[in-house]
Amino acid sequence: MTIKVSRRVFGAGVLAVGVAGTSRGSFAQGTPRRGGTLVATWGGGEPQACYVPAGGGSSPTFSSSKLFERLARRRMDGVFEGVLAESWKPSADFKTYTVKIRKGVKFHDGKDMTVDDVVYSVSEIWKKYAVASALTDFAGIESPDADTVVFKYNNPTPEFFFASTLCSPVAYIVPKHVYAGSDPVTNPANNAPIATGPWKFKEWVRGSHFEYVKNENYWKKDEPYLDRLIIRYVRDPAGRAAAMEAGDIHIGVFNPVAPPDIKRLTGTGKFVATPKGYEEAVWSTTLECNMRNPVFAKREVRQAMFHAVNREFIAKTVYYGYARPGTSPIYSPNKEFFTADTFKTGFDPKKAAALLDAAGFPKKADGKRFTLNLLAAGWFQENGKVGAYVKQALEDVGVGINLTVPDRPSSIKRIYTDYDFDLAISNQANPSEPVPSTTQYFTTDGILKGVPFRNASGYSNPDVDKLVASIKIETDPAKRKALVVEFQKVIAQEAPLLPLVELESITLASTKVQNHSNDPNFLAASWGDLWLAS
Amino acid sequence: MAGELVSPTPALRGSARRTAALRLLRRRLIQAVPLMLGVVIINFCLIQMAPGSFLELMTAENQVSDPATVALLRKTYGLDDPVWMQLLKYIWALLHFDFGFSYRQNMPVIQAIWIHLPATVLLMVSSIALAISIGVAAGVVASMKVRTFWDSLVSIAAMFFYAAPSFWLGIMMIVLFSVKLGWLPVGGMMKIGGNGGVLDILHHLILPTLALGLFYAAIYTRVMRSSMLEVAQLDFVRTARAKGLSRNKVTIHHVLRNALLPVVTILGVQMGTVLAGSVVIESVFSWPGVGSLLFDSVSSRNYPVVLGIMVLGSLVVIAANIAVDLIYMWLDPRIEIR
Repeated sequence: MTIKVSRRVFGAGVLAVGVAGTSRGSFAQGTPRRGGTLVATWGGGEPQACYVPAGGGSSPTFSSSKLFERLARRRMDGVFEGVLAESWKPSADFKTYTVKIRKGVKFHDGKDMTVDDVVYSVSEIWKKYAVASALTDFAGIESPDADTVVFKYNNPTPEFFFASTLCSPVAYIVPKHVYAGSDPVTNPANNAPIATGPWKFKEWVRGSHFEYVKNENYWKKDEPYLDRLIIRYVRDPAGRAAAMEAGDIHIGVFNPVAPPDIKRLTGTGKFVATPKGYEEAVWSTTLECNMRNPVFAKREVRQAMFHAVNREFIAKTVYYGYARPGTSPIYSPNKEFFTADTFKTGFDPKKAAALLDAAGFPKKADGKRFTLNLLAAGWFQENGKVGAYVKQALEDVGVGINLTVPDRPSSIKRIYTDYDFDLAISNQANPSEPVPSTTQYFTTDGILKGVPFRNASGYSNPDVDKLVASIKIETDPAKRKALVVEFQKVIAQEAPLLPLVELESITLASTKVQNHSNDPNFLAASWGDLWLAS
Repeated sequence: MAGELVSPTPALRGSARRTAALRLLRRRLIQAVPLMLGVVIINFCLIQMAPGSFLELMTAENQVSDPATVALLRKTYGLDDPVWMQLLKYIWALLHFDFGFSYRQNMPVIQAIWIHLPATVLLMVSSIALAISIGVAAGVVASMKVRTFWDSLVSIAAMFFYAAPSFWLGIMMIVLFSVKLGWLPVGGMMKIGGNGGVLDILHHLILPTLALGLFYAAIYTRVMRSSMLEVAQLDFVRTARAKGLSRNKVTIHHVLRNALLPVVTILGVQMGTVLAGSVVIESVFSWPGVGSLLFDSVSSRNYPVVLGIMVLGSLVVIAANIAVDLIYMWLDPRIEIR
């Protein structure tokens, strides 16, 4: 399963990462108070549409997730629970999953949500757009009765994988009566969605905000607590900080303001900042080697690239200390699968030089062994700073570097279409389930020219492909975890792409906002349970 | 496009003046056709030269990997055609007032621009009005009180607002007037959930107008001051004084009117830069105008919208310059513009 949307967030503009001030364990206090208007923002721009069937990045996920609902969600304690599904159960061979659909759910236009809507959503939206890469083994969906749907797979499908698919941020249940017979991508309802969630679409003032109102017929009788939800777009982080300070905005998700402003605002005692709520969308800054360059044919050369770079320095200097060195393709907050017991590519310039010497690349008369084109993807400004440091670090071990920091569209084209780089500094955000969101960066079937956030390095290893294929179908949790650990060990040693640092995303909220950051992908949660203290 | 001035000539009067103005208007409109054509061709070619296309970004955001789908999309958006054919098709469409289709907004380009246009027009008009009002008044005061405290004060203020980046000025004003004093809203065009009344919009308009307009006010102040001092030395002013007219009457009726000509010239030229400046200001104040749309469209390689805004912007500049030529004739009847 993949939580695709987080991976594809690149419209954020500024990735100002940091935690400052108070970080409380819980953001819920007392009995929920009803009424009021919550004004929210996020660290990026306005979406292209309120709902994009294929995801389209974090911005449309943020706007659409307050309206649409999924079959299931994952709680902060890691437990999966039903949302529009009441329960699900695998068959003995794990090739089919029987899902009981919640009764009494209505769309915002008053029509009942039925199994037909679920079947349509899965077969026409999920399979074709939203979670296509997670449904490669999907064989179809049936509805044997009015309360049940059956997912069919060609191969055994692990329970964790299946549940993660149901929770994928854009795996929504959409109204068949609105979308059937139309092109879902261009359906006008994408800009004024009809869904089942706690919030009903009221208006979109382009360039300014979305306004949602309480869904009085929401199936969770107590929710939403608030009367109105506003998602406001402020392009400039300093403008967001001012708006929050002036009380115009109550909560900002995904790094809404710069780190110094986080410290300043939390210092007033009127705001709290927390890294909670991003456990299912952990970001990293990665360094990727283009295997099409013969220099990288030897594994030692790839390892040398990482040994030359001081990840601690990047974490402290570029990210103000609000990041940590990355060691594995699976990130450390992943309680299900992460292992620290992998091949180490820590900072050791002497070892880097020795590896390059041994690989047949001694320093020439000009002091350089070879020269590489380093591309730092310009969708986050921090990438350019990381690029400047990596250039210096690699030049210290005799590797000449031509650094470019193209803007977002150019970076996407050069990395994923033209493969026009030798080294690329990029970003990923991965959920707990590693297949395919993490594994597709390393498997041969992830090499898809023109499709971003896949295998751009061109790394192809039959052993890794076989390992990932096993992970995909292993239904015993313990055995599956062992396979994922093995995957991490292989990749850490092979080093075609590794995280330089794991990032902490931040939510900044007024102390009046209660119950926030209570979902492992809070940006994509429904926010029906948020409330404002008086 | 402000024309070549031929002056002095005997002042035109009455119907002769109107005829001259109409002749000028007709001539400028005819000249505008090849000018617009050139603008469209240059902008189209510049956009073609930029790396990355909206199709690549669109397929990326929608995770489209199927070559057949990509080919279909290329055909749908006319990207299969050679560039010169795309250009010809675009010009032909423009002649029919068809600015193309914005895939990102999923609506015609002209509709996407139209949604944002009123906000930008409001911001531009109010900023220019502010700039002219302050600039002319401050320039007149400085010239009448030359080499005094007031002249120095105006000069220092003009230098400050000319040197201060508008985005910085905007943020500082937000901090002072919105965050610290709480007098004015931080951003947006109207209170969210409000009725969008005139007073509400004016309330939201104050800071963006100041941030954008004060820079141009500084320019007009400097130009107006030097122009006033220059005109005050001319013979006809000396004659007016010799006739015994009061200082204020000479200043207002003789010096000011003639000294306005350079300001009018700059106004026409700066229409384009005011539009460009609004991109920054709209971003700082979350003003939902064309500037925000342009910023988003460039970031997303939404070329139909970028091109549409550029073409409309060029139209505005051309129209402003024609207006400037006409205002010239009105301000100084001796002037004939070729």
